[in-house]
Amino acid sequence: MAATRRPDALPPHLSDKHKHVTCASDAPTYTSTPEYAGVYASLGIDNSLDLDELRREVRIDVKSLTADEMVFDVVGIDAPIANALRRILLVEVPTMAIEKVWVLTNTSIIQDEVLAHRLGLIPIRADPARFEERGDSESNESNTLCFRLTAKCTHNADKSTDAEPYTGARVLSSQLTWVPQGDQAAGFAAEPPRPVHDDILIAKLRPGQEIEVECWCEKGVGKTHAKWSPVATASYRLLPRITFHQPVHGPLAAELKALCPLDVFDIEDVAGVPTAVAARPRSCTVCRECVREPAWAERVSLQRVRDHFIFSVESTGAMPPDRLVRDALGVLKQKALDTAQLLKDTRAQADGDVDMAGAVGAADE
Amino acid sequence: MEDALPERDGDEEITQDDAWEVISAYFADKGLVQQQLNSFDEFLETTMQEIIDEHPNVEVRPGIQISPSQAAGADTRHVVTFNQVYLSRASVVEPDGKNMTLFPNEARLRNLTYACPLYIDVKHRTIEVRPDGEEDVQDSEIPKLFIGRVPMMLKSKFCLLHDANDKELTEFGECPLDPGGYFVINGSEKVLIGQEKMANNLVYVFHKRTPNKFAWVSEIRSAPEAGNRPPSALYQKLLRSRYKNASAGSIVTTVPLVREDVPCMIVFRALGEGYNADRHVLEHIVYDTNDMQMMELLKPSLEDSQPVHTTEMALDYIGTRGAQPGAARAQRQQHARELLVKEMLPHVGITEHCETKKAYFLGYMIHKLLIASLGGRKEDDRDHFAQKRLELSGPLLASLFRKLFAKLKKEMRTSLQKMVDAGHEITPSKAVNPKTLTRGLKYALATGNWGDQQAAAGTNRAGVAQVLNRLAFASSLSHLRRLNTPIGREGKLAKPRQLHNTHWGMICPAETPEGQAVGLVKNLALMAYITVGKPASPILEFLDEWGVENLEEISPMAIPNATKIFCNGAWVGIHRDPDQLVSTLKELRRSVTIDPETSVVRDIAERELRLNTDPGRISRPLFVVENQQLVIKKHHIKLLRESDASGVNWDWLVANGLVEFIDTEEEETAMIAMFVSDLAHAHGMVLNTHAEIHPALILGICASIIPFPDHNQSPRNTYQSAMGKQAMGVYITNYQTRMDAMANVLYYSQKPLACTQSMKFLSFRELPTGINAIVAIACYSGYNQEDSVIMNQSSIDRGFFRSVQYKTYKDEVNKVGLDLAEQFERPQRDVCQGMKFANYEKIDEDGLCCPGVRVSGGDIIIGKTTPLERTEEDLDPMQAKFTKRDMSTRMKMSESGIVDQVMLSTNESGLKFCKVRIRSVRIPQIGDKFASRHGQKGTVGITYRQEDMPFSSEGVCPDIIVNPHAIPSRMTIGHLIECLLSKVATLTGQEGDATPFSKVTVDEISAELQKRGYQCRAFERMYNGHTGRRQNAYIFLGPTFYQRLKHMVDDKIHARARGPLTTLTRQPVEGRAKDGGLRFGEMERDCMISHGVALMLKERLFEQSDHFRVHVCERCGLMSIANLRKQNFRCPVKACQSALTCQVFMPYACKLLFQELMAMQIAPRMVV
Repeated sequence: MAATRRPDALPPHLSDKHKHVTCASDAPTYTSTPEYAGVYASLGIDNSLDLDELRREVRIDVKSLTADEMVFDVVGIDAPIANALRRILLVEVPTMAIEKVWVLTNTSIIQDEVLAHRLGLIPIRADPARFEERGDSESNESNTLCFRLTAKCTHNADKSTDAEPYTGARVLSSQLTWVPQGDQAAGFAAEPPRPVHDDILIAKLRPGQEIEVECWCEKGVGKTHAKWSPVATASYRLLPRITFHQPVHGPLAAELKALCPLDVFDIEDVAGVPTAVAARPRSCTVCRECVREPAWAERVSLQRVRDHFIFSVESTGAMPPDRLVRDALGVLKQKALDTAQLLKDTRAQADGDVDMAGAVGAADE
Repeated sequence: MEDALPERDGDEEITQDDAWEVISAYFADKGLVQQQLNSFDEFLETTMQEIIDEHPNVEVRPGIQISPSQAAGADTRHVVTFNQVYLSRASVVEPDGKNMTLFPNEARLRNLTYACPLYIDVKHRTIEVRPDGEEDVQDSEIPKLFIGRVPMMLKSKFCLLHDANDKELTEFGECPLDPGGYFVINGSEKVLIGQEKMANNLVYVFHKRTPNKFAWVSEIRSAPEAGNRPPSALYQKLLRSRYKNASAGSIVTTVPLVREDVPCMIVFRALGEGYNADRHVLEHIVYDTNDMQMMELLKPSLEDSQPVHTTEMALDYIGTRGAQPGAARAQRQQHARELLVKEMLPHVGITEHCETKKAYFLGYMIHKLLIASLGGRKEDDRDHFAQKRLELSGPLLASLFRKLFAKLKKEMRTSLQKMVDAGHEITPSKAVNPKTLTRGLKYALATGNWGDQQAAAGTNRAGVAQVLNRLAFASSLSHLRRLNTPIGREGKLAKPRQLHNTHWGMICPAETPEGQAVGLVKNLALMAYITVGKPASPILEFLDEWGVENLEEISPMAIPNATKIFCNGAWVGIHRDPDQLVSTLKELRRSVTIDPETSVVRDIAERELRLNTDPGRISRPLFVVENQQLVIKKHHIKLLRESDASGVNWDWLVANGLVEFIDTEEEETAMIAMFVSDLAHAHGMVLNTHAEIHPALILGICASIIPFPDHNQSPRNTYQSAMGKQAMGVYITNYQTRMDAMANVLYYSQKPLACTQSMKFLSFRELPTGINAIVAIACYSGYNQEDSVIMNQSSIDRGFFRSVQYKTYKDEVNKVGLDLAEQFERPQRDVCQGMKFANYEKIDEDGLCCPGVRVSGGDIIIGKTTPLERTEEDLDPMQAKFTKRDMSTRMKMSESGIVDQVMLSTNESGLKFCKVRIRSVRIPQIGDKFASRHGQKGTVGITYRQEDMPFSSEGVCPDIIVNPHAIPSRMTIGHLIECLLSKVATLTGQEGDATPFSKVTVDEISAELQKRGYQCRAFERMYNGHTGRRQNAYIFLGPTFYQRLKHMVDDKIHARARGPLTTLTRQPVEGRAKDGGLRFGEMERDCMISHGVALMLKERLFEQSDHFRVHVCERCGLMSIANLRKQNFRCPVKACQSALTCQVFMPYACKLLFQELMAMQIAPRMVV
């Protein structure tokens, strides 16, 4: 029997479960994807993955892109792939961060360890691609960036009442100065490494207190320590889908519009009757206010599209978000290639083992 | 009309929120440790001088002289009188003799005592009686003689920190938020714990259970107002009527210092001629002689005392049972007479001519007893808080000071006597030993054993002074407000431990320890005020003025129709128009004409008016209500808000009768509205006299930190009250200038999103002990089962709940012999004996290490040597090179850290003294303990990085995931509401109000959340971090204030394979600190036995423990001597001397037992 490829041919009730996650007022249902190729075999439908089809169907739409944040839709993939991308963005895209702090002077009230920890968390704008991971090797210009922080607090000479009583009381990230090593000065002349933000408060000082530290930046990934994570957060959500079991007209429509705190619904004139429509499903946060009352749950259906991921990537500023996504996809690709290679190797090895076994068997004979 | 309008505006009723203005005014005026400070100030300002004044003069006269040189007949007396005392500023005498002003923080750092020198004016009068009888008087004055040092309570009136502003406090090295109220003794901070006791001078009636021969007993513990004496108890006991003996049903009296019970009538008769006739006595008891029931009850008593019918006989009767029964009749009588005047009911009077009052009082006691036995009143409630008094620092120190001062005088007398007898000139200044007082006070405060050092163990109360808890700021505050009930912890009686109705508003209902001390250790509620005690004389004068009829002047017949007036337990008279008297008294109190802490208790049922001015009563302020309306109005609140301009403060409110202090006894006669709003819809005959300021004030310090405690199951609040004391935060702002033995400081503490109003008085917003963590209540991967939590590793990386631990090591140089002293230095192997197996590299030449040096277990952090004193002859050539012995301090094996600060100073005796503070960073890890503010504690079960944590559709990851199973059985609904409110607070940017007993509802909070586009009950749809799929449940997610508790795995982790053994038994030592073994206990043993693994058992208990080999003589069975190298075996037993030996393995403990038996002449023979 030749199975139909398209799950579109599924009867409506199954198709709904296949494509959507339903958000009931108490708990979501149908959250997992039927992965097994033969789930719908009895209906004559093949559920197996077709690579060509996937290639054709997958779509990425960038909805917005700023220096720090990117929102884009990925349609047509399954949750594990989307999740892999998210996880890679969080912890596997390398960045530069302060790893070693040499405390020369610290007479402030902040302890050396706390100071070092705070310095480590400052996002550094430097292209990690131009550095190697240090590993066990010595620090050198190819794997380390050096910053110096010198701060001293004194009484303000200006004694007028509205003037700040002290100068240098606030130690800010802008005071971190890059100390080029080797030929770094030339190499990074175009874009000298520096902290992403200039207004990060590192410590507070009082007259007589002094901080002098040297900070060494290294390349790393978020798995090792969250300071190397290139994003503030990267996450996705599924596209909300709001449908009506029965049309909502007139006063009910107005009521529904008022019910939603995020103004998802609009009232449109459908054949002369004011009818509620889900005009802005994207802004729905699935607060489920519209399905909380049993009466409303009968009229409105709140769902999410299973294969439509709305990604949001908030960069720390060290690298632009689109670059991060590209890097992350690169890491994902490399992983896939590595796995493929591994499988190939294992296969070859297994085949070799079989040959060996055959050879041994033959010798016995 | 127009002008009147704004006036009327201000006359509006106040709202419940306005009450917080009043509360703020109270705390601005009194602070949180006002009870400690007031009590101590009273001691210094009044009591100390009183004690000195009440002591008799020291009088010495020469003993009988045998020496003929002494002119016979010339009689000389020396009288030494103590007058005015003076207290100087706190100081310390340095060894070079300089007297330096001492600030508390220096005392803390240098392990000194923060104390003030006490001086006294002494008058020395020499009276020479010449042979002709003329007295020759010679006076000399010694002004301001130093008699000792009195430890000074911080921030009390005579403390250097009193009235210092924040800037000055900072310059003195103090934290501006520290409330004071404790002492610094040898560098450690000591708090005096308030001691609860039964009140004196109150008549109690108790019913006795059957085996007792008395059915009813009325008792009083009488102590005069200004007295140094222990209270003297007096009992009136009604014999059980079915008790078969002649005096069945009669009443007997237990008179102090009389060994036997005396029939009650005899006591009356002994009081004077007026009480010889039965009728007169009966009048004093029954008042209304027509009350036949009561008269009938007294019949057996009358019959009992028939033979003793005159005063003389009665006195004789008592005298023969007194202290000197054998004395002559006249003496006995005189003794009895004195006893009745001085010892019986001293609070009524200890002078002559108090007989009438005493007779009335005795009668009153019997009257109460009879009423109770007739069923007219119930027996008294021992646990009623009106019958309790609290002994705080003042009275505690007074009792100690009294004893020590008496001792000082005794010693003085002895040494003066010596001077006189030796014929030396009398110099009182040399006879006073200031160390008596200094050391005595210091001893009691340092050890907590309240009393004399020489007193036998167990006679002193232990634990009165405790080391101030500095774990968290709230724990210090709570410690300063703690009360103790000194009854045995093992007592199984539940009653004294239970919460009593009268604790309302005085004692925190939640904060009490669990276990043996439950309910016995209490904590004061926020607004509880403990009376300092004021003299009763102004009240007595006032009563005279307002028509109180003196007992001497009335006929007993008048009593039933009048109201009895008591003042501090003493019956002072009767009054026929009590309504008017009471209202006048209250009016005067509300205008501060009489002291506001006086209580006026009108007991209508008993026809009594009781006035109290004594110290130690617990009271609390309430709003005054007149005509169902609060006297305090909106315009008062307005004035209060502008207190800087208007000068309106708490005292002004009291002086204007807007609020008033009501003690536990008076509370029983007040009608108190719970809320201001309740006044408006009072119905029926209910008329309120007062209104609560706010019901949230019934809680103590620790319970005031809990958000929504009114939504929690009660024990959960108790658990949190105990846990809040272990939470980390910034325990005091001057922690960097202190050298506490151990301290934990949280890197980034946050003020909670859900706050209670009371927190602003506890400085909790300034010194919080936790972080607003994003908490999800969910099952996720199973690593948060059984009260464990999942924590976000990425959050930890970013600084979540990181903390620093400080530990201080201390060492000082001691004198060795007369002129040698130990020395701080780096010990050298060639001259130092007994060098440890440790790293001496981290210390410098001076024996100390540099700040910033990393030190770990086994490193020497303070190098010290002691010189070896040896004589020529005992020089062992091997030891000859050693001139010193190593006495260095080694870091504990399980610890590591960085040297934070090193302090080098001198101690009291001028010798070098050093403290080294080590700091170590504690990053949350698996096994560390965390808790919310609702008694929900848990340890970290696993840490997941951000990508493995579930995330919401906004991308929010929780910091902590707790298991939902922690909620239903514990019913900590407050936890959930806190989360909901905090979520709203993050969205609105305003602090959430989680004050208990406010009108906030969950629906209101939910609606607010809903308005901001969130699910109204704070549920979020979340995605699994591992799989990326939607979770099958909505998850309750929001910020909740979490605390890090001081229990951390790094301080507890322990394992050992081999290690140190105890010398005696050669078994492994116990405890982590000594690298001890892990106990294989009885239950573990049982497991092995039942499992049938005998060899495993043998290995654990024998081979791994004290395995030992002995050689046993085969002939006599005793242990023989074996020389294995020479293969030479011989039994040491003289009669045996056999060489036949057998090798036996046995535990060393067994070998030890056999040898001990042998030492006791028992021969344990092993048949081998």
